[in-house]
Amino acid sequence: MGAVRTMILVGAVGLALAGVSGCATPPPADDPDAVADFNQTNDPMEPTNRVFYAVNNGIDAVLVKPLALGYKWAVPGVVRDRVHNVLGNLDSPVLLANDIMQTKPRRAGDTLMRFVINSTFGVAGMFDVADGWGYPYHNADFGETLALWGVPEGPYLFLPILGPGDPRDSSGHGVDIALDPLTWVGKGDVVTDLEYGRYGMTLLDVRVGLFDTLDKATSQALDPYATVRSLYRQHRAAEIEDIHSDTRATTPDWFPSQPGH
Amino acid sequence: MLTRRTLMTASLAGAALLGVGALPRFALAQTADQAAAFIDKTGKDLTAVVNGSAGTADKTAQLQQIVDRDVDVDAVARFCLGRYWRSASPAQQQQYLQLFRQVLVKNITSKLGDYQGVTFAVGRTSPRDGAVAVATVVTRPGTAAANVEWVVSSASGSPRIVDVVAEGTSLRLTQRSDYASYLAHNNNNLQALLDAMRQQLTQPS
Repeated sequence: MGAVRTMILVGAVGLALAGVSGCATPPPADDPDAVADFNQTNDPMEPTNRVFYAVNNGIDAVLVKPLALGYKWAVPGVVRDRVHNVLGNLDSPVLLANDIMQTKPRRAGDTLMRFVINSTFGVAGMFDVADGWGYPYHNADFGETLALWGVPEGPYLFLPILGPGDPRDSSGHGVDIALDPLTWVGKGDVVTDLEYGRYGMTLLDVRVGLFDTLDKATSQALDPYATVRSLYRQHRAAEIEDIHSDTRATTPDWFPSQPGH
Repeated sequence: MLTRRTLMTASLAGAALLGVGALPRFALAQTADQAAAFIDKTGKDLTAVVNGSAGTADKTAQLQQIVDRDVDVDAVARFCLGRYWRSASPAQQQQYLQLFRQVLVKNITSKLGDYQGVTFAVGRTSPRDGAVAVATVVTRPGTAAANVEWVVSSASGSPRIVDVVAEGTSLRLTQRSDYASYLAHNNNNLQALLDAMRQQLTQPS
């Protein structure tokens, strides 16, 4: 499976490089408002990005969306929730590694407790028991880790299959795949099939989750491409700010506080 | 019954008097509390309409009333047009404000069915650019709880909503970049935007 992912990435980067000639034309310098807009949008590859956005929408319309609709139609919500939880639980090692690299001990503790509790009491991750026990889910990926290390996001980048991103987050995605122990487990047809199954189910799970939100937002937009770009950036900035402002003390609530308190 | 009502009125009046007396010292805290109470009421009104038994047409009319009363639509509209507001002619500004309101109401009411069974809980408040952000957790059956912030401004004289921030994404900021991009790709021609908005109104939701 790693090979397939690598192929997609290499292909995407190759296409992106081939399309570099399609750069956005900056507005004339005598229009300061327009220049400010252009710089703030920070999307110098816009023409190329728009092509990939259209390609992705095409793939989505003929393949991913129908499959996701079929999945939603055929599988009851209760079962889809179990699948969602199992997939989330499998991501725990990557989350934990990033929590630690982000030097957020409480978040790392949350992730570790979630993995232990949900893998056992939660029956292989099917039930999110840990959430009710005070260990809520949070996202952690290497793009965020880089952001906390001070790496800027860079220009907007829309890649086929991977969707919206930027040099920081898209390369961070590659690191997350490398960080995943399941990428490196033993080879064999059964393992490969299971990994395909995992990625396929993740795709469907994510797509079904977007029906209400993203589909609604883009259908009501005059320029869906710009709307996705704005939503993606705001969402990432909010996630990173959440991690940044999570300064909970390392001692848990039940730990006896200092004498006199 | 009468005594109970009198008592309630008396205690309300007392609370109001106390509130007035404490105004200078707790002005900020009170604005925040006021904003939280306002969102609590608006949220209750909204959920009551959405979860009510009225027909779609009645619900749409009721939602429209709440939007007009509790949302500073003109302020949101001006924000969404950004720098293009200044260069627009007064007639275009009027047209735009009218269209913006209609599109907003249409977008909200088209989601009516999705929000069946929705509940919400008001959380903390925090200052935000001269306004107050009220955090809420919105829960819908079958979906994960969503963090939604309501930005309340009293610039118009009474508390009104100027932005909704869902899971970190601001509605008015997203709308502004949508319009800005559309205008940039249509020679900065405001008439093109107005036509496109008019087109949106004729589309089935």
